[in-house]
Amino acid sequence: MSLKKIVLFILILSGSFASHTIAFSDQEVQRGAFGDDVVELQARLQYLSFYHGKIDGKFGYGTYWALRNFQEQYGLPVDGIAGQKTKEKLVNNSDFDRAFVHEQINAGNQFTYYGGIPLKDQVKKSGTAAGTGSNKESGKGSNLTDSMQLPPGYSEQDLQILANAVYGEARGEPYEGQVAVAAVILNRLESPEFPDTISEIIFQPLAFTAVADGQIWLTPNERAKQAVLDAINGWDPSENALYYFNPVTATSKWIWSRPQIKQIGEHIFCL
Amino acid sequence: MRNFAYLLGLFIVILGFVSFDLFTQNKQLERSVFAAQTRDLSAATEKLSTLHSTVEQSLLFQDEKALNNELDSIWRMSSDLRKSVANLPIQPEVQNEWMRYLGRIGDNAKQAAQTGDYENWRNKMTTVAANLHAFAEEWNTATVAFYENDGDMKKWSTNHTTDLSESPFMNVSKQLKTYNETDFPLTASESDYEKKRDLQHIKDEKITKSEAIKKFKNFFPNIDDALVTVTKSSDDAPYPFYHIQYIHGSKIGYADITENGGHLLSFLLERPVKKHPLSHEEILNTAERFMKKVGYSDVKLSESRENHEAWHFVFSRVHGEDEALVYPDSIQVKVAKDNAEILGVNAMEYIQEEKITAQGEVPIDWEEFFSDQVSVEEMKKIYTANKNLQLRKCYEVIARLNNQSNDTFRIVIDAETHEVIKNEKLN
Repeated sequence: MSLKKIVLFILILSGSFASHTIAFSDQEVQRGAFGDDVVELQARLQYLSFYHGKIDGKFGYGTYWALRNFQEQYGLPVDGIAGQKTKEKLVNNSDFDRAFVHEQINAGNQFTYYGGIPLKDQVKKSGTAAGTGSNKESGKGSNLTDSMQLPPGYSEQDLQILANAVYGEARGEPYEGQVAVAAVILNRLESPEFPDTISEIIFQPLAFTAVADGQIWLTPNERAKQAVLDAINGWDPSENALYYFNPVTATSKWIWSRPQIKQIGEHIFCL
Repeated sequence: MRNFAYLLGLFIVILGFVSFDLFTQNKQLERSVFAAQTRDLSAATEKLSTLHSTVEQSLLFQDEKALNNELDSIWRMSSDLRKSVANLPIQPEVQNEWMRYLGRIGDNAKQAAQTGDYENWRNKMTTVAANLHAFAEEWNTATVAFYENDGDMKKWSTNHTTDLSESPFMNVSKQLKTYNETDFPLTASESDYEKKRDLQHIKDEKITKSEAIKKFKNFFPNIDDALVTVTKSSDDAPYPFYHIQYIHGSKIGYADITENGGHLLSFLLERPVKKHPLSHEEILNTAERFMKKVGYSDVKLSESRENHEAWHFVFSRVHGEDEALVYPDSIQVKVAKDNAEILGVNAMEYIQEEKITAQGEVPIDWEEFFSDQVSVEEMKKIYTANKNLQLRKCYEVIARLNNQSNDTFRIVIDAETHEVIKNEKLN
C-alpha cells in the first residue's frame, strides 16, 4: 500500500469517526436552551428510550428529567445539564442521523427517533400513527425556524395570530411600534372591558383595521414575530395603553377623547 | 370602426355581467353579516333577560347547595353574554362598560361560591338585580330600531362610528357607567393595584430632559454616542416619562425613563444578530454584571429562555431572611447570543414595587398534600398576587407525575391558607 493510500485511508477513517463524535457544539446544554444541540440531545435520549416527547429543540422539563435519568443510569453526576462528559457518553451509546432528524423538523413532520426501529417507520404521514412513544399526534407541526420558546401560558398559535395582527396593523412602523401594538392586545387581555382570549380580542368587530381590510391574513415576517416575542416576554413600549390610532386616518371622535400616553411612529397610544 | 363598435358593445355587456355578479356576491355577503349581527343582538338580549332572572333566583336560597348551583349558572351565563356583547357592532365605550359590568357579576358569583360569603352576595345582588331589570328595558328601547333596518348594512356600520350623544345607546351607556361605579366600587387591593400601576408612589425629584439623556448614557455606555431624540409623555399619561429614541449605526431602539427620579422603565435595541453564539454562561454573566452595574442588586435569576437571536432572562426581587422571590417585582433582560450585548430591559414591574405586609406561614406535609404518584422536585417561597390582587407569600412547588412522559407542574400554594393559587403544566 502506497503512502498516499495510507493517508487517504486514515483520512476516511478519521472522517467517519468525526461524524460520529463531533456532533454537539462545545456549549453546555441546560434547561431553557433552544436549537440544534437540544434537537440532538432529545434525539439521542429518545434513541435510548429515555425521552418520549417531541423532538422540537426546546429544552423543557421533559428533556430535563430524561437527561437526569440517563445520567443516573450511566453513572454520571446527576445535574440535568449536558456538559462535556454527558455528551460524550451519549454520543458513545447512541446514534444520531442529523440529516434525517433535521429533514423531518424542517418539513414540520411528526416523527420519533427510537433505536432499533427503521427510521421510515417512525415518520408519521398525515392521519397515520408512527413510533412507539406516547406522543402519537397526527398531522404536521411547526418547524424549528418558525418555532419559539414562549413563557408559560402562551401557545405557538397565540404567537402566530399576534404576529399576523402586528404585521397587518403595523408592518411599516418602527420595531418599537410593532412591540407596542402587540402589547396593546396583551393589555386588553388583562382588562375586564375586553374579551378573555387573544383571538377574541383581535377579531372583535371593528376593533382592528387589519381584520376589517383583510391584511391580517398576510404572512408575517420575522421582525413581526420578534416584536410579538418581546411583548409576550413583558415589554410594553405603549406604557399600558389599551388603544392606538393613526391621527391622520382616524374617523372616530371617541378615540380622540381617550387619555393619550405617547406617539410611536404613526400611532398615538392611549388608555 | 364597425368592428370597434362591436367590440365596445361586447365589452360593455361583459362588464355588465361581471358587475352584476359582483353586486350579487356583495349582497349575499352583506346579508350573511347582517344575519350574524342580528343573531348576536338577539342572543345578547335573550341572555340578558336570563341572567337577570338567574340573579333574582339566587336571592331565593339560603341552602348552600341550591345557591352554589345558581352562582355557577350566573358565572357561566355572564361569561357567555360577554362573548355575545364582544361581537356586537356597537360603540366601543358601550361595549367596554357592559363587558366590565358582566365581568364583575361573574367574578362576584365565583368569589361568593369559593369563599361562602353569601351575605355579601345577597347585599350586592339585590341592587344588581334591580339595575339589570332597568338596563334590560333601556336596552330593548335602544335596540328595537335595529330590527327595522331592512337588511341595510349601512345603518349597522354607521352606528359604530356615530357619536354616542347622537346614538340610541346614549342612555344605555350612562346607565352602565353609573352601575359600574355604584354596584362594584374598586376594592382596597384593586385601588392599590391601580396606584401601583400608575407609579403614584414615586415621589422622587423630577429630572430634566438632559438629565434623562445622561441617565440613558450611563445605563448603556456602548451606545452613548448614539443620535437621540427625546419627547415627553402626553399630558394625560398616568405617569410622566421621557421617551428616548436613538440610532447608532445599524442599532435602533428606545428607552423610557420616568420623570420622577429618572428610573429606567424599559429599553429595546434592534440590530442584526450574527449566527455564532457565545456560551450560556458568558451571556448570563453579562446580564448579571449589568444588573449590578445599574443598581438592581436585590434580585435573583428566576427564569431563562433561549430563542433564535437572544436569551430572555427574568430576575425577581428577593425579600426577607428566607429570600422569597417577589414575582410581581421582576425585571426582564434580553441579551444577544452573538456578543452578549444587552438588547432589552423591562424594569417597569420592579419600579412599581410591591408593599409587602407580614403574613403567617403554616408548613405543609407534601406527602399528604399530593397524591402517591407525585414527586415534589423543587420548593421555594415566592410572593405573588392572588385572584383578588392581594400579594401573598406562597410555596411554589415543581411537582412531577411519575408517568412515562414525566409530566411536570408548577403549583403555587398560599403559605398561610394553603389555597392553590396557580396550577400549570410546564413544557
